[in-house]
Amino acid sequence: MDTSPSNIRGLDFARLTLQDALDLAVLIEEEARERYEEFTHQMEQHRTADAARFFRFMQGNEEKHREALASRRKELFGDAPSRVTPAMLFDVEAPEYDEARAFMTVREALMSALRAEEKAAAFFAAALEHVADPDVRALFSELHEEEIEHQRLVRVHLDKAPPDPDVHPSEFADEPVEID
Amino acid sequence: MNEAVSVTEHAGAAAPLSAKDYKSDYKPIWCPGCGDYSVLGSITKAFALVQVRPENIAVVSGIGCSSRIPAYTACYGFHGVHGRSLAAATGLKVARPDLTVLVAGGDGDGYSIGGNHFLHACRRNVDLTYIVMDNQIYGLTKGQLSPTSPRGLHTVTSEFGSLENPINPLLLLLAYGAGFVAQGTPVDMPGLAQIIEAAIRFPGFSFVNVQSPCVTYGHEEQQAKAQKGKLKTLASLGHDPSDRLAAMALAQSYGTELHTGIFYQDPNPPPTYTSLVADRQQALADGLPRERVLELFAKR
Repeated sequence: MDTSPSNIRGLDFARLTLQDALDLAVLIEEEARERYEEFTHQMEQHRTADAARFFRFMQGNEEKHREALASRRKELFGDAPSRVTPAMLFDVEAPEYDEARAFMTVREALMSALRAEEKAAAFFAAALEHVADPDVRALFSELHEEEIEHQRLVRVHLDKAPPDPDVHPSEFADEPVEID
Repeated sequence: MNEAVSVTEHAGAAAPLSAKDYKSDYKPIWCPGCGDYSVLGSITKAFALVQVRPENIAVVSGIGCSSRIPAYTACYGFHGVHGRSLAAATGLKVARPDLTVLVAGGDGDGYSIGGNHFLHACRRNVDLTYIVMDNQIYGLTKGQLSPTSPRGLHTVTSEFGSLENPINPLLLLLAYGAGFVAQGTPVDMPGLAQIIEAAIRFPGFSFVNVQSPCVTYGHEEQQAKAQKGKLKTLASLGHDPSDRLAAMALAQSYGTELHTGIFYQDPNPPPTYTSLVADRQQALADGLPRERVLELFAKR
């Protein structure tokens, strides 16, 4: 029986082993890193430099988390083949595609990252309801706490971010230019 | 030949492929927030779920924002002329029945300019998967009425509101006898990938209408936020996808409600056009030697 949260397919969380859980956690970070990379590219392409810079920063953070989890996995289980594949997960920590907008402000970019971190914390909280293995429970509890800490860090950045302008930058986009 | 088998025949003997293996190095240039990003992500996920190797897949398209998809996959691609993607894909599938053929495009390309091909590919039951990113507007050309634009919509070509009723692609194909009719949305990416996977595995013409929002020119009701508020999966309604009449009843809500999932999947799919062509070729080869066929032609 599939007891996984709705954004995971084909994994029975009640039977999840520590190896599976670490593989899943690595892939969650990998998916988020890839999405931030895509967003960075989208922003660069649409001349939204400040948001691009922030998404690149998030891309780096997700990569650091991925590396840390991957080395833990390697240490415990070596090169044992993974039973978890990227096709099994959908937008666990990755911001959803519709979060991106051309000419989005840094504040809007930060808010999209905050929603992604909240979503990830909710995922681990929901997963914990199904997990039986004590080691997996410990790992997911730790990751849940980390996601809450990430939310706090994003909020710190939000406090420092400049307020949005009265007129949104997108209002200036594609304005017809008068040619003499 | 049963094409459902042909999908699994290609299943990788080497390491399993991931969605990334089906993406090309070209980065999409759609507007940020466009629904097509999720559709591309769902298509590549579905490929990874089916595990057909990229070199055994052909992605065919016409013209429009969504028709850029072949370039963004690592599969063989054919970016053809406006509205003719299904005609090109039919030829391709008949010539190379071993390939998994996926056709992608928009509502203007598929339902208006290519509207005739849409019906004929369906009635021929060509074994291919047709994914239409239905944003109810011509986005690439900056916001004109499309065949699925709702009545009353104000656009650059309907300043005072559209006087036309939209077509209902789901009902149209169900009436035409399609063996697989589904609808998805990028706001439910797992659901969409699952639908596309089922469509690819279906032996025959399979059609997936995707309510893919245009964030630049699309109307409010079509945006992700509005879709999240009204989305209902067919599974949650207890719909039986083997019941064509029930599917037709539900499909009538197109344009007013948002139902996602498989509306209809023929439990006993008839032979595909490709398999009938192969049978005919075999029968002719068995019954008439090549010289005799040429002789018959010469007599005419």
